[in-house]
This record gives sequence, C-alpha cells and structure tokens, in this order.
Amino acid sequence: MEEQMAKIDLSNISHTYNPLDPKPTYALNPFSMTWENGKRYAILGPSGCGKTTMLNIVSGLVRPSKGEILFDETPVTDLKTEDRNIAQVFQFPVIYNTMTVYDNLAFPLRCREFTKEKIEERVKAVSDTLNLSSFLNSPARKLTADQKQLISLGRGLVREDVAAVLMDEPLTVIDPDLKFRLRRNLKEINEQYKTTLVYVTHDQNEAMTFAENIIVMDQGEIVQVGLPKDLFEKPKTTFVGYFIGSPAMNIFHSTVSSDHEVKINDTTIRTNSNLGNLKDKNVKLGIRSEFIELAEKEKSNTVKIKLTRVEDFGNFKLLTGKMGDLVIKSKVEREKPIPDGELNLYFPPEKCCVYSDEKLV
Amino acid sequence: MSKLYTFLKYFFITFWTVFVVAPFLWAVSTSFKDFQSVNSKVTYIPWLDFEPTLEGWRVLVKSPAKGGVDIVEPYFNSIFVTCTASLISIVLGTLAAYALSRFTFKAGFVRNNDITFFFISQRIMPPIVLSIPFFIFLSTIGLLDSLLGLVVVYIVLLMPIAVWIMVDFFNRVPKELDETALIDGCNPYQAFYKVVLPNSIPGLIVAGMFCIIFGWIDFFFAFILTFTEVQLLPVKVVALNSSITPWWSLSASALVSVAPLIIVAFIVERYLSKGNLSGALK
Repeated sequence: MEEQMAKIDLSNISHTYNPLDPKPTYALNPFSMTWENGKRYAILGPSGCGKTTMLNIVSGLVRPSKGEILFDETPVTDLKTEDRNIAQVFQFPVIYNTMTVYDNLAFPLRCREFTKEKIEERVKAVSDTLNLSSFLNSPARKLTADQKQLISLGRGLVREDVAAVLMDEPLTVIDPDLKFRLRRNLKEINEQYKTTLVYVTHDQNEAMTFAENIIVMDQGEIVQVGLPKDLFEKPKTTFVGYFIGSPAMNIFHSTVSSDHEVKINDTTIRTNSNLGNLKDKNVKLGIRSEFIELAEKEKSNTVKIKLTRVEDFGNFKLLTGKMGDLVIKSKVEREKPIPDGELNLYFPPEKCCVYSDEKLV
Repeated sequence: MSKLYTFLKYFFITFWTVFVVAPFLWAVSTSFKDFQSVNSKVTYIPWLDFEPTLEGWRVLVKSPAKGGVDIVEPYFNSIFVTCTASLISIVLGTLAAYALSRFTFKAGFVRNNDITFFFISQRIMPPIVLSIPFFIFLSTIGLLDSLLGLVVVYIVLLMPIAVWIMVDFFNRVPKELDETALIDGCNPYQAFYKVVLPNSIPGLIVAGMFCIIFGWIDFFFAFILTFTEVQLLPVKVVALNSSITPWWSLSASALVSVAPLIIVAFIVERYLSKGNLSGALK
C-alpha cells in the first residue's frame, strides 16, 4: 500500500459515541472539509470540542457514524488504520518501552517492510532534526518526558510518504524553548517534504504561528476556517471572538438604530455592516481591544468610560474601563499618557463587527 | 523523638525478621535430627547441640518398600502440573484480559466488568463448592486420578488470577500504545504481540508468580481428585505423618517444598528491583 501524500476530503462526516441511544449526542456535527496536499492546518478549540475525534476519524481509529473520507478521491472510510498510511502523534508520549530509541524510530518503517538502508537513512535524518542522534542506542524508557515525546514525533515524521501527519497537542510536555524550535522544524519539514500537517491545539498562539489555515471548533461544530488574520479581524461568531486573541474581543449587547448604526446604552456607534433588515433588533457589537483608540475629546464613534484599571504588559498597556455596567478593554501603546478618571475611546467603524444570533452580520 | 523512631524501626524489623526466619532455621535444624535429638533435653546450646544425621532427608527419597516415603515423583508431578497449568492460564488469561480491557462487550445486562467479576468469582467461592462438580466432571471424562485432569482443574483455579491481574495491568497501559502501533502499520495481532505484550512483561511475571504460588500450594483439590496413580507434593507431605510425628522428615520435606517458591521470589524480586514494574507505564 504505497500512497503518496494526498488531498484529504472529509465529506458530510458526523460522529456520535452512543449511536444506539434514541437521542444520541454528537461529538461531531455534520461537516465537510478538504485538506489540501502539503498544507499546514491547525485545529483550535477548547477541550472536548471534538478535535481529537476528528483526527481519530482521519487516522481510522474511529469510524465516523456518518459520512465518508477520501484520500485523493479514493474512499478510505472502510480502510483499517494500518492500511491508511497516516501518521499520528498523541498528546502524551507513547513510546515502545522495550525498544531502543533507534528501534522506536525504525518501527513504522519495519512494519511497512522498508529496506535496511532506507530505514537507516530515514532514522538518521529524523534523529538529526529532533536532536536525538546521541541517544539512538539507549533504551527509550530511560529518556525524559520531552525526549520521549520527540520519539513519538519522530515516529510520525520518519515515513516520507504519509498522506498526512496528525498531531494531537504534541508539544504540551515540551519546554517552551524547544517548543519554539520544534514548531519551526515542523514548518521546515512541511516546506521541504510537502507533508500535510494537521496540528490540534488549544493554544491560539501555537495555532497562529504554525498554521496557514486555522479550523476553529466548538462543541462538535466547525465554527470558522480561515487565515489567522481573518480569525483575528473578522471572527465569524462571538465564540471565535472570545476564544481568539488576548484579551478576548470586547462584546457588547446593543440595539440596531439605523442601517449602519447600533446603540450601546445611549451611545451610537457607526459600523460598516449593513444592518438594514435588523432594525430595532438586539445584536452584539464586537471590537478587538487592539483596535480601540484613545480619543482626545468626544467625537462621533467615541464612548466615554470611567477608567478602573491600567495594567502594564511591557510592550503595551491594557486599559480596563466601565461604561455603565459594561466593561471595555483597550490596548494602547506604553508611551501614551493615560489621563485619570474619564476618557474617550474611539471605535473605528471598519473594525466593528456586528453579531446577530452570535453570528457575524 | 527521632531516636525513639529509629529504635522502634529497628526493633520491628528485627522482630519481623526473627518471626519469618526462625521457623526456617528451626526446620533446617530439625531436619538433621533423629528421634533421640528431637525428644531429649538439650545440655548446652538449644538447636545446635545434637548429633546431625541425614535420616530425615533419606526417608524422602527411599522407596516405601525400604521404609521411606518417596516424594521425588510427587515433586515432579507438582512441578509439571503447576507449570503447565500456570502457563496455559497465563496465555488464555492474558488474551481474555486484553479483550476485556480493550473492547466493549454487551450481552443483555452483562458488561466488561461483569465478565471480569465472573472470572474472579471462581476464586471467591469456597473450594468445597467446586469439589463435587469437579469430581463428577473428571470421572465422566475419565481424567480422575491423572495429571491431565489436575492440569484442567488447576487452569480453572489459576486463570481467574491471571485475568484479574492482567485486566488491571492492561487498563493501565494507555490505549494510545495500541493505536500508535496500528498507525505505525501493525495489524491488531502484531500490535498485541510486538508492542503491548513486551510492555506487559512485568505484569506477566507478577501474574505468573501468583499462578505458580497458588498452584503449588493447593492441597484440597490434589487430595480430592487423586488416589493412588498420581500424587502431588502437598498430599504426599501430609501422608508423611504417622502415629509418631516424624519431625525430621517433615522439616526436610517442608524445606524442599518451599524451595521452588523461594527461587521464584528471588527471580521476581530481581525484576521488581530493576524498576521494570513501576516504569513501564509512563
């Protein structure tokens, strides 16, 4: 079974772990998605949102309740894990305790009956990339937790011809310095070998720096797929707004007052969204704290707040203020002088996102 | 305070050591005595003040015709039955335990835990409950008073131990290990014997040790299910006793009976102290 790297199609996939229940709860709601060959994807979402289930479906450890998986247009839904040519790395190090590091790395190749020379070449390449060369002959169980995780990672990367490498929060146990280097290594591997990499994480920074495409999931649902920039500037739902960015997006209850305007408490805010058919409806206005500007005096699109807290993060200051009972957070440059007491904040209309029923208008 | 603690610690260790070792030393000393030395008063040092003789040991290997009780054959019978039954129990029990640990079974209200409990329940029952069914069963298939019959019965007795220990062990082996093996290209059987099994050697050793101990020390079934053709060691040792208690040969037979278990304990201890048992799962 010698598949080359492939385009992976997930078509109408859904999954429940209790299919016999009269009212099954779905770990994954129906979705379709395509993973292009050679790209880097990150699946981002809180714990228990279905990320791992999705990976297990692709690798064949879980058979989806409904739907079909295609590698390069060939259905593989009924194919067993061992026949799928997928590499998967789990969150916690899984190593073969009884083998040496070399044997651990060589195992996937031996199972697939590669030649001895080829195995040696690949193990050497991978162990060089992962800094494991000096341990090759030691028993794997003697290594530290992060070295063990490197072995797991190495077993995933040792085959060049895999359809995709799926990684389930693989760097959790690795210290930050090495983490950074490994992420860069993974990027290089992806660029060099054009291996599709799918990376599950709940850490947005990891996702943003690693992936070309980010898939945001929540409660078994794919909420948004897009470039890091899109997710940041135009979150499709309030969940994405909350989940991505630090601090979370400012989101206020508001009422639509005209085609382009909403009212928060008594302040009118102009936006670039077309709100014609939502007049007088209750909506939510979202704006990133990064986009809120300090205004010197009251003008259009400013809100007056009472400053409650200033936190200095070194490279920026985070202002927290109150407008009535609403809390507003704004990031400003560190050098900027902050007036005491009341101040005006300007909401640029092009940066305001309006959400009706939690979805972007 | 700490001095008192140290004192108490050493006191209890010493006390316990004496408690465990003294009977052995007593048995060693007694096994080299004869009737005279056992029953007469000591003049100088207790335990050591006697004229050593090998009579107690010779009785064990002499044939009954020459006034001995030959325990050589029962000894090897016991080794054969214990080892065979333990081996089969470990093989079957490990497979059963793996299935119980990795797959979900449903039959009516019966779930995995119920099946595991069913295995263990074989050991919870008082053995006397099983004696009549076993007796009838073995006599029906013509295996009463035979080594094979004993092996069959011992498998029934030992497999629950193997299942019980191994289910617990496999449950602590992360299922990601199997999954990784599948992803690396093993089929489920290869994943089991190439990856999961080598990782489970410590569990297998512990299970094996328990099987050997429980098989070796069983007297009840060996006594009930055999008569003249086949005898196991525990039954033969008991048969040594007569109107005059032969302390010397009883001591000698006790020593040779526990010897294999001591050897097993030393082997297992080596494995335990190597840290294989604790480090295998992380």
